[in-house]
Amino acid sequence: MSEPILKVENLKKYFPIRGLLRTVGYVKAVDGVSFEINKGETFGLVGESGCGKTTTGRTILRLIEPTDGNITFEGKDVTRLKGEEMKWFRRKAQIMFQDPYSSLNPRQTVFEIIMEPVRFHGIEVDDPEEFVIKLLESVGLNEMHLYRYPHEFSGGQRQRIALARLLALKPEFIVLDEPTSALDVSVQATILNMMKELQREHGFTYLFISHDLGVVKYMSHRMGVMYLGKLVEVGPADKVFENPLHPYTKFLLSAIPVPDPELARELKKQRMKVEGEPPSPINPPAGCRFHPRCPFVKDVCRREEPPLVEVEKDHYVACWLYAKS
Amino acid sequence: MQEEYKKGILDRLADKFVDALGSFISLFKKDWKRRNRSKMEEWKLMLYALNRSPPGLIGLALVLVFVFLGIFGPMLSPWNYRFFPSLYNPDTYLAPPGSEFTLNVTELRNGQFVNYVTTIKFPLGADHYGRDLVSLILYGARVSFVISIVVIVLGVPLGIILGLIAGYYGGKIDELIMRITDMFLAFPALILAIAFSAVLPSRLQEFISSHEILKQLTLWLFALKPQDAGNLGKLLAVIFAMIIVWWPAYARITRGSTLTEKENLYVEAARAIGLSSWSIMFKHILPNIIGPILVYVTLDFGGVILMEAGLSFLGLGATPPIADWGRIVYDGSQYFPEKWWLVTFSGFMIMLVALGWNLLGDTLRDILDPKTRRSIEFKVKKAKQMEEGEENA
Amino acid sequence: MPEPILEVRDLTVHFYTYAGIVKAIEKVSFDVYKGETFALVGETGCGKSVTSRALTQLIESPGRIVGGKVIYHRDDGSTVDLLRLKEEEIREIRGKEIAYIFQDPHASLDPLYTVGYQIAEAMVVHGTVKDWKEGFKRAVDILRRVLIPDPESRVKNYPHELSGGMKQRVVIGIGVSNNPRILIADEPTTALDVTVQAQILDLMNKLKEEYKTTVILITHNMGVVAEMADRVAVMYAGKIVEIGSVDQIFKNPLHPYTQGLLKAVPNPLARIEKLETIPGTVPNLITPPSGCRFHPRCPRVMGICKEEVPKLKEMEPGHFVACHLY
Repeated sequence: MSEPILKVENLKKYFPIRGLLRTVGYVKAVDGVSFEINKGETFGLVGESGCGKTTTGRTILRLIEPTDGNITFEGKDVTRLKGEEMKWFRRKAQIMFQDPYSSLNPRQTVFEIIMEPVRFHGIEVDDPEEFVIKLLESVGLNEMHLYRYPHEFSGGQRQRIALARLLALKPEFIVLDEPTSALDVSVQATILNMMKELQREHGFTYLFISHDLGVVKYMSHRMGVMYLGKLVEVGPADKVFENPLHPYTKFLLSAIPVPDPELARELKKQRMKVEGEPPSPINPPAGCRFHPRCPFVKDVCRREEPPLVEVEKDHYVACWLYAKS
Repeated sequence: MQEEYKKGILDRLADKFVDALGSFISLFKKDWKRRNRSKMEEWKLMLYALNRSPPGLIGLALVLVFVFLGIFGPMLSPWNYRFFPSLYNPDTYLAPPGSEFTLNVTELRNGQFVNYVTTIKFPLGADHYGRDLVSLILYGARVSFVISIVVIVLGVPLGIILGLIAGYYGGKIDELIMRITDMFLAFPALILAIAFSAVLPSRLQEFISSHEILKQLTLWLFALKPQDAGNLGKLLAVIFAMIIVWWPAYARITRGSTLTEKENLYVEAARAIGLSSWSIMFKHILPNIIGPILVYVTLDFGGVILMEAGLSFLGLGATPPIADWGRIVYDGSQYFPEKWWLVTFSGFMIMLVALGWNLLGDTLRDILDPKTRRSIEFKVKKAKQMEEGEENA
Repeated sequence: MPEPILEVRDLTVHFYTYAGIVKAIEKVSFDVYKGETFALVGETGCGKSVTSRALTQLIESPGRIVGGKVIYHRDDGSTVDLLRLKEEEIREIRGKEIAYIFQDPHASLDPLYTVGYQIAEAMVVHGTVKDWKEGFKRAVDILRRVLIPDPESRVKNYPHELSGGMKQRVVIGIGVSNNPRILIADEPTTALDVTVQAQILDLMNKLKEEYKTTVILITHNMGVVAEMADRVAVMYAGKIVEIGSVDQIFKNPLHPYTQGLLKAVPNPLARIEKLETIPGTVPNLITPPSGCRFHPRCPRVMGICKEEVPKLKEMEPGHFVACHLY
């Protein structure tokens, strides 16, 4: 088994809610999340809006400062990096955003967009133009696009440009934050395939954040399911889909509309019924955070937070149905 | 349905101008022209948009005339502003437009008195020193021009920088900067300027008198004679006062735009690359918010000139005999309406310049709006296709 | 033989924009049968939303309905062409007999009024209730019908006090408040999370069965289509390329675009090694491709595709396709 390139331990991010004069409370966006990502794999992070998956991705890259917890990247404690070491980390760990319409500076040409990080990190390039053209070609664009502005491109093409910008730095770890959720399915398929292809070619490690379970299943080797700032289940993607353990994961999986009418009719009958919507992360429920909606709720769930336990090989779940109190 | 877009002379001129500009920049930056084809295309479209707006063209023409007069006015002036004809011929006192007089001049030149006879024409009349109003207006153009440029060049960037910092960092820094801004904005600008220009002159005068080079430079900038060195303090005080009341508005606009702009993901992408806050502010955010600020600046050029005229009218700033449009109106108002020309012509100049900048500013707003450009771009492309189609046929 | 409630014929909508005439939809024809759920599927800009809005003349400037007919079969058996009605007449039908649910629940509710007021208003305007008092009373029933817990107190809430899913329930509540015969739902769940989406879809199915409403569902999500629809029309670049029952479309897609679309969706229940893609991008509708609009991206393009616009042909009962392959 390859070793972890990234290790996240007990990561927390609380956003203060400012009252008139003082802080009146905290949004516990991420509240004690731990996982590891192995070199060369894709770790999928799924959950519904507000579950803290995006905050997790950004906190790992220290685009948002963590409130508490450890992040270890290639043996270094990311939370303590400064100066040159931080610059090294910025080069090694990159992010791709959801919205292709705002993630590129409208005043820069494609050439400038791609060369900016290269220049900033002092990467030696013999012929900048040729360098950028090669990158563009690797994402399916060409030299015609070199000196154009973002507004001259479609959403899919912009995501390709964003991808080329990432490639320019030759990072090792990339956070993909819902990279295709703003795109149409036919374009999404192209971008997803390209990201898989690039991973095979360069050995990238991905943290793939998405709310689309189909996409996560397609992309990920391992995955984690988040609910209200906590990881409720972690395991190989196939196992999580075939044998979901946590009631929330089961609920989530049964809620996906399946693009197959026959199967859909079948599944509709056995769909798990869960009422309500996720509560606010300002005052999350005590104990297991899913307990107010969980059909299998026990007494202990209301009192104590369940630990993450290994149920089958590499497949962990945080639920009192599987843990001993 | 669509109106056709045919390139007129002005558009061809715009093409040539942009191409020439591109070639010029390429002299210094290798390959600039090739790399910035999209940018040049954009510039051309902006100029096409300008060409299609008569008010904009009028505004541009007025502004160009003003800039020309501001630079060359004193050189073109037939008479020196410190030449007082009424000393030699009392009839020139408030002489009406179109009159002509003979002067028997006695002048001190190189330590000797020189006598000569000359005639003076007053196409627009004369003031109470018998000075030619045309000459005064030409000299006054320089004063207004320099003041407006200095106020904008120093005041606006100050406001922009403070606004950027406040908007980008937020929190306590934002609080601090914006409360100071609010303090300035809470006072009526004119009153504040009056207060400052009443307090500052003596200190500034002291300062400028003790720095010879600075004194010479200032005199040269305003095209003033050495005899007026003692009046520089008041002139500079007005400039200072106006800078102080000018920046807060820009701090506020810039902060607002920065707050919106920094939400864009490209800002976060720049942070993910590792760029410093400083380069994110100036390389990424500023170019994206500069458009509306530029429009504001253009409109404000007129504003500065109006305010300066207003302050001069109140007796602050330029002191006689320095030629200043506002001052001429003020002095002339004592003889109004019998001797109407002083107030009328200099007032008209102030109005024309302010109007010019305003027309230009309004048009700039349209030009900088990508939608306007897209529409023209489409029409140009269509016209091009049609031309090609005809050729093929 | 199912009874049609709407017959759309050659519906054409153009947008006169600064950039040129956008031919948003071009000669779109389909029937909607009484009591069914009819889905319009396609990607961004294919014209599915425009089509749904054009049905009741809900097209705003710079758009204009250029041609076509929308024959509506009223309850009493008479028929009327909705496109020929005057503004006042169509307003009578819109919201009462044909109601809409839009995508963004946050934007569809007015933040200044309570949800009860907004539901009551919909009924008062169409005279379904005698007065506001009755309207408010009915509003509570409607909130209960859309499964909002504690409707008596919720009716006094303002939109911002409700979650996204709750808001969409209210929007649906407003939609069904007048017991419409046709409910047009434009991406009703796109802004929502999957679990909430599942609840909303369940709710819509339940309401549909209860009130025998005909539903026209506009969506880009093939999963939602498979789950909800009886019949499906696939749109591409302003044209309908295929119509059929949901099983025909999913089991035996005929048009290369439908085939590509179905294969491009990552199915969470299947193991997929490589997704199939459709090369190229959606064409610009100012100057759409000649002939079949899909031909520049079609893997099975032939010479004739560039020249001739394919017509809808019936390949099996109820299954139409517009493609030169057939």
